[in-house]
Amino acid sequence: MKSNMATTVHTLPHDRLQEDVWRPLRETSTRYVITVLLVGAVALWGLFCWGYQIHKGIGVVGKNRPSMWAFYILNFVFWIGISHAGTLISAILRLTHAGWRKPVTRAAEAITVFCLMIGGLFPIIHLGRPWIFYYLIPYPNQRVLWPNFRSPLVWDLTAILTYLTGSVLFLYLPMIPDLAQLALHTTGWRRFLYRTLALGWTGSDREWHALERAMKLMAGLILAVAVSVHTVVAWDFAMAIAPLWHSTIFGPYFVVGAIFSGIAALLLIMAVIRKFMNLEAYLEPRHFENLSRLLFLMCLLWLYFTVSENLTAWYGNQPHEMQVFGTRVRGQYAPWFWLMVVCNFIVPFVLLGIRRLRNITTISISSVCVLIGMWLERFLIVFPTLAHPPLAAAWTTGYNPTWVEISIAVSTFAAMALLYLIFSKLFPIIAVWEYRYVPDE
Amino acid sequence: MYLMSEFSEPSTLTVAVQALKARGIAPENLDIFSSEPVDLEHGVLDRPSRMSRYAVLGGAGVGLLSVAFVYYTQLNYRLITGGMPYFSPWATGVIHYELTMLGAVGATFLTFLWEAGLLRRDKAAPVPVLAASGHIYLRVRCEAGQVLAAGECLYQAGASNVQKLEEKS
Repeated sequence: MKSNMATTVHTLPHDRLQEDVWRPLRETSTRYVITVLLVGAVALWGLFCWGYQIHKGIGVVGKNRPSMWAFYILNFVFWIGISHAGTLISAILRLTHAGWRKPVTRAAEAITVFCLMIGGLFPIIHLGRPWIFYYLIPYPNQRVLWPNFRSPLVWDLTAILTYLTGSVLFLYLPMIPDLAQLALHTTGWRRFLYRTLALGWTGSDREWHALERAMKLMAGLILAVAVSVHTVVAWDFAMAIAPLWHSTIFGPYFVVGAIFSGIAALLLIMAVIRKFMNLEAYLEPRHFENLSRLLFLMCLLWLYFTVSENLTAWYGNQPHEMQVFGTRVRGQYAPWFWLMVVCNFIVPFVLLGIRRLRNITTISISSVCVLIGMWLERFLIVFPTLAHPPLAAAWTTGYNPTWVEISIAVSTFAAMALLYLIFSKLFPIIAVWEYRYVPDE
Repeated sequence: MYLMSEFSEPSTLTVAVQALKARGIAPENLDIFSSEPVDLEHGVLDRPSRMSRYAVLGGAGVGLLSVAFVYYTQLNYRLITGGMPYFSPWATGVIHYELTMLGAVGATFLTFLWEAGLLRRDKAAPVPVLAASGHIYLRVRCEAGQVLAAGECLYQAGASNVQKLEEKS
């Protein structure tokens, strides 16, 4: 462990803090360029595959009857779940005045915005004919075409729109003072960009008071929205009278899963930016330690919900539910199910639960496992049920994603990395003013 | 007419603000500038806010609009509901909830812009450049006859670098 890791923020001079956080904005390393090119190429490949699907038609993907949602809905749920990393966690930490949150919040809030952008794309990709996406937007038209407001998919649209708007503003508001400072220290197009986005911020007490109030209010509002968004995503499934979907605990089960995967994504991104942006003095081991405790708590909660959900289905012994339950636990999907349990419970429980084993490396390993496990959980929620609808004659042995779907899914991870790399090159990943500010409690 | 002064500590700034207020300078004419928030004790220089009220009003307004929109849409463009009511608040409640929250978020942001003065900046008033951290500036807007008394208050409180500035033309 490097010696400067023990240094706390308040012993660091302001100039050094500013210099360290702003350095990545000024300097572009070869490693950065190569990474951008690599992830950019993968993201472009995904765009090409989407174009191919639009050109050839939706038949190029593995979707079939009755597995009509398949891979795209799985990735939609996964990305919306990860989006809970940022705004929700940041809002909770802000409202509870957790002082250690300061270097974490902006990195977290950015995750939310990018994940929502990516997750929100999947229903459009899934449409097959995305150019008529605007049919979903309610407006008077000659075709007398109005959306069905009772449909959970329209609920999704409004929920994600609200969450995205709130999250963008929640990310942007505390960035304004930093942008004003950056405008004073940069030239050219960067100066223009920062000055425009800073909205003429001068650092007056009226501005600080308004910002503080707005952030408190937004934190409260965004918390309510974040919980509702993933509940609505859960209701996409739970409102269908389908085996193992029609469950009253699906809403909270999804929210817990979303926060679980969100914290894992945040820890992983923190570990990466700490290493590659040389921010060891700011993203300290205690930040990882505190977040890993939250991850451990969510791991236990996830187990509780998973057991509750599966035990009631097994005890009920309804034939149509048992068929799906059987394929999940001891049939075709059993290897994935038990791998999910290992990734979501066994690995984080051991690595995070035993104090001696807990360090940044093991926390990162746990986070990767949780992300894999949560992706598998979405997979296991979607596919076995879709393949076994209530009418037994419609049962199928399964669904196999094609190279188009797999490519698009993989490319979204690259797109996420690309968006994050661009963001970290344009904006400070740590709020300098917030980091320095120690409020009178 | 403006007086711009510099302080190193919030405690001396508090003394200056209280002295200026005692000399009859209204809190609206006092502005503190800093690169980080400065915490002053309650009652020294409070800035009353209506942000919470506007957030509630914004939420209620947009929420009611969404109810009206869905209600009239469902009645005018009738979908097949299998004998169930055309407008069902339970089945569309999520939309009303989300749009209510959107209204509250939007109203909060707009009120922030308004109360922070970002939408109605007085371009004639001089503003210090906060290029470095740790500096606290106090700007006093006063009549020509108050300048001497205000300057005296600032010096006595421990201000440095007190400057008399005119409005920008």
